[in-house]
Amino acid sequence: MAEFNTWINERSGVSVVHLKGFLDAHTASTLENTFSDIIGKNNFKIVANFKDLTYISSAGLGVFMAFIEKVRENGGDIKLASMSDKVFNIFDLLGFPLLYEIFKTEDEAVKKFEEIK
Amino acid sequence: MVLNPLRFFNKFKLQTFLGITGVLFLYKIFFTGSDSALLKSTGDVLVLLTIASLVVYFSEYLGKRTINPLSLVMNVGILNVILFCLITFSGSIFNMFFDNAAEGVNSADPIFSAAVFVYSFLILSVLSYIFLVFKELYFLKQKRNVSIYFNTMIVFIVLASLTYFLRNNPELSFIKNTFLIVSILLIVINSVKISWIAFLVKKEKISLLILSVVISILFIVNLANNSGSGLHEKILMNFSPALSQFANIIMIYGAIYFSILFFTTFFHLPTAEAFDRKAQEVSSLQYFSKLITQVLDFNELAETVTEIAAKVCNSQASWIVLMENNELNTVANKNISYIDAERIGKFVLGQIKEDEKFGTLIVNLGKSDGLDKLSERYSSIAAAPLKAHNKLRGYLLSAKKGDLIFDDEDKNALDTFSDYASVAIENSRLLEESIEKERLEKELDVAREIQKKILPSKNPVFEKLGISSVFIPAFEVGGDYYDFFGISENKLGFIIADVSGKGISAAFVMAEIKGIFESLTKTAESPKEILISANQILKKTLDRKTFVSAIFGLIDLDKETLKISRAGHCPMLLLRNGSIKNIRPGGIGLGLTFGRRFNESLEEVEIKLKENDSIVLYTDGVTEAKNTRMEDFGDKLFEKTLLKSLEHSPDIITKNIIGEISEFTKKNSQHDDITLVILKWKQKI
Repeated sequence: MAEFNTWINERSGVSVVHLKGFLDAHTASTLENTFSDIIGKNNFKIVANFKDLTYISSAGLGVFMAFIEKVRENGGDIKLASMSDKVFNIFDLLGFPLLYEIFKTEDEAVKKFEEIK
Repeated sequence: MVLNPLRFFNKFKLQTFLGITGVLFLYKIFFTGSDSALLKSTGDVLVLLTIASLVVYFSEYLGKRTINPLSLVMNVGILNVILFCLITFSGSIFNMFFDNAAEGVNSADPIFSAAVFVYSFLILSVLSYIFLVFKELYFLKQKRNVSIYFNTMIVFIVLASLTYFLRNNPELSFIKNTFLIVSILLIVINSVKISWIAFLVKKEKISLLILSVVISILFIVNLANNSGSGLHEKILMNFSPALSQFANIIMIYGAIYFSILFFTTFFHLPTAEAFDRKAQEVSSLQYFSKLITQVLDFNELAETVTEIAAKVCNSQASWIVLMENNELNTVANKNISYIDAERIGKFVLGQIKEDEKFGTLIVNLGKSDGLDKLSERYSSIAAAPLKAHNKLRGYLLSAKKGDLIFDDEDKNALDTFSDYASVAIENSRLLEESIEKERLEKELDVAREIQKKILPSKNPVFEKLGISSVFIPAFEVGGDYYDFFGISENKLGFIIADVSGKGISAAFVMAEIKGIFESLTKTAESPKEILISANQILKKTLDRKTFVSAIFGLIDLDKETLKISRAGHCPMLLLRNGSIKNIRPGGIGLGLTFGRRFNESLEEVEIKLKENDSIVLYTDGVTEAKNTRMEDFGDKLFEKTLLKSLEHSPDIITKNIIGEISEFTKKNSQHDDITLVILKWKQKI
């Protein structure tokens, strides 16, 4: 079974979540826990880095939907960055670019948070 | 166990006893004072029969309880004290009520006779009970059948008692002496056969030691009093010489038995502790086997494990800590509060070094450990690892109170036990997992069943439109859905959708979607309108992380047009003139956002249908079908396959594509539902 894991680094007040591997119905709970942890610490500025993500299923997309409302209510956002074309295509088909800000690189995403500040 | 000669009474114990007592009473009232040897002997026989019936009666009462030798011994002690009091104070009591009681022994005064009867009867009852206790003690824990020795002894005791009236006849007294001597010999032989002492624990042995000294002395004193020349002796002799002799023999038996008991116990004492430990080990082994049967219920198992852990290492409290999600959690606690267990556990387990984690650790708590009062209450802690497949699963901890500490033997015992406990706990976990797996499989069966019922059983048939559809469910129901709606004679609505997530929850959303579109297609006119309405309805029911991608299309058979709207779904493919066109109007998935943002994102496309146009609808299960190297079937291969079968009927096209997919994925299992719907416009038939 394909593996999935996440790690987080903090960049000037923004929590950058790195996603690696295969995000599907079985591994979605890992990402859910990661987001819960970040939000539990009252961090609402989140960038998801998709650089090492090979696959995302609909259940994986659902995780972002589950948290976005709460994050935005608290003045934060989840921004998406560094997607491969294949992953972007999945997001794009569903119309995610209308709902989320998607950036080419992690730097751009973090910078966007700084601009608002 | 009932004595052989007494079997006769077995059926009507109480009745027999009461009957014999009544006969004895009447006999004594009428024949007191007679000197006839025959009458006296008859009386003796009656007395012995009474004793026999009493023993049988008592034995039924005793037999109902589990016999504890120590309490039997206590009973004998108490009865001895009663006997002692009766014998000692009989003179003064009788003198209080009757003048010249000593002389009146032979008088025929019925009241006095009755008093004598009651007194003798009391003595008789006490003696019977003591005799019964001797019998029970004799047979206790005997491994072989030894009743022959005991029964022989009874016969001789009876004979010795019955012949006691001959004592005044110097020529014949040798008979009763012989019987007495044989009886005493048999008593000695029988008294040596004590086999129950070994089974007592050390504490019990010590109390038995003291009790046996006291009781044997009491027996000797009573023996001396009984055969003394007081009023008691006179009354008893007059009542029945056999009873008097029987009393003597019982006293002798008691004195001998308890003296031997004393020495035997005394010699057993040094090995008592070792025996205790062995006995405990044996009972622990029994507990181990108990563990195996309890794996069905984890809580019950944990309870037993903590209970036995405390027993095997002679500690007062124990608890289990298990690794769950990389955290150690206290899952069961015995004789210690949960909070205390957590605190001590954290402290002790914090001291375990990485390389020692597979051995049992002993930590003696000191005042400086920052545990406040806990270190005063619990002095020593032992932590044994619980492991499975060479991985640490948790710890079994045990604590001693007061100033006690764990010694090496305790440590070894806990070590051994923790191995057994590990296996039991791991088995329990595996069992739980497999039950859970089975439950999930059942759930998926239900989900597949729902999905099967929701999807159309057959495709609608039209003159101008060929329709083919394929649906291949994944093991874990993927939430694919397609359907056709006959809106009017010349209008056909169709939908293809994919619910996010898997399993039964996806199946339920599918069912909901079907309901929504069934009703919406009755009123709404355009695909865009229908999707907007559907999204509004779903707002109320979908949870935040669930969404649905869908394409809704409407074919007007008269106007030869197709209108479609897409809500986040894979594009529709239009095969026309040997090439493939991606029809991908804008639109966000249903349930992702609501209100204006969704409505404004949605576009509608209208296509004028041409001869031989093929419309291909699919879910991502098609393009994301994976081979063993986890490569996708992909858009390119999909399109290539479509182009190859352009000229064929929809059925052939779907067949070709499914064939190509299975060729590609080979033996790799299917992760998502595969749905493919192909509509072919053929004006000229």
